[in-house]
Amino acid sequence: MSNPADTHVAHHAARYPRLYINRLGFWLFIFSESMLFGGLLASRFYLQGLYRPHELSQVLGLIITVILLLSSLTAYLAEAAIVHGDRPNFLRNTLYTMALGTIFLIGVGFEWNAAFTHFPPWSPFGTVFFAMTGMHALHVLSGVLLLGLIYYNGRRGAYGPEDPWPPEAIVKYWHFVDVVWVFFYAALYLVS
Amino acid sequence: MEAQQTLKAQQAQRVRTGIITIVVLAILTGVEYWISVSFTGTLLYLSVIALAKAGLIMNHFMHIAQIRYQEGGH
Repeated sequence: MSNPADTHVAHHAARYPRLYINRLGFWLFIFSESMLFGGLLASRFYLQGLYRPHELSQVLGLIITVILLLSSLTAYLAEAAIVHGDRPNFLRNTLYTMALGTIFLIGVGFEWNAAFTHFPPWSPFGTVFFAMTGMHALHVLSGVLLLGLIYYNGRRGAYGPEDPWPPEAIVKYWHFVDVVWVFFYAALYLVS
Repeated sequence: MEAQQTLKAQQAQRVRTGIITIVVLAILTGVEYWISVSFTGTLLYLSVIALAKAGLIMNHFMHIAQIRYQEGGH
């Protein structure tokens, strides 16, 4: 006798292509992640209003923002390459993305070094600054590690036009991290 | 041979889209930086630009339209 739950799953699997189900699940994950980052963003304005310490380097903020934006382009090119069966470009652009993500993290490290002096984590602005940039940096770090995983698998012949989902999901995750930074950058470095 | 050429053309089209998107994102980033250093009380303008940038990334890079199911689509 078949399990009703299995029958239910089989019915939907037949109705919807696997890739579509994967994408829908991914966007649900992104939606739940947005709640977390949205809460952090709201706390910045609730706790500190529009206050921004003048010691916060707007130039460094702009530089790391441009680096993260560039990494979104290389991630996009990596995805476009593997979807079209162009493995060398996929591997090359995945590496570029990892490198740019790492440079971004180093930039955040520089920023933290200065922040500890001027607005440490136990100060009102430091609380929101370290919470927001820390949570975001953790996501960048996990993105770099995941990109490393698809790079490793890609070198061993995995993925291609018939199996694009793992790179597509990780690249989309990377773009989401970029979207979060678009708002965090404006909220932390630009408003006053 | 023809299929390969079609794939190459599709890939080139995607690359073009990516480059145009990143150029627009760079311009918007420059504009919001300029607004921030030149004016005060800029929350509304910065919010609008941030939303536009997020929309561009979600539409062109994340292909959010793919969640709309199309029979036989990919």
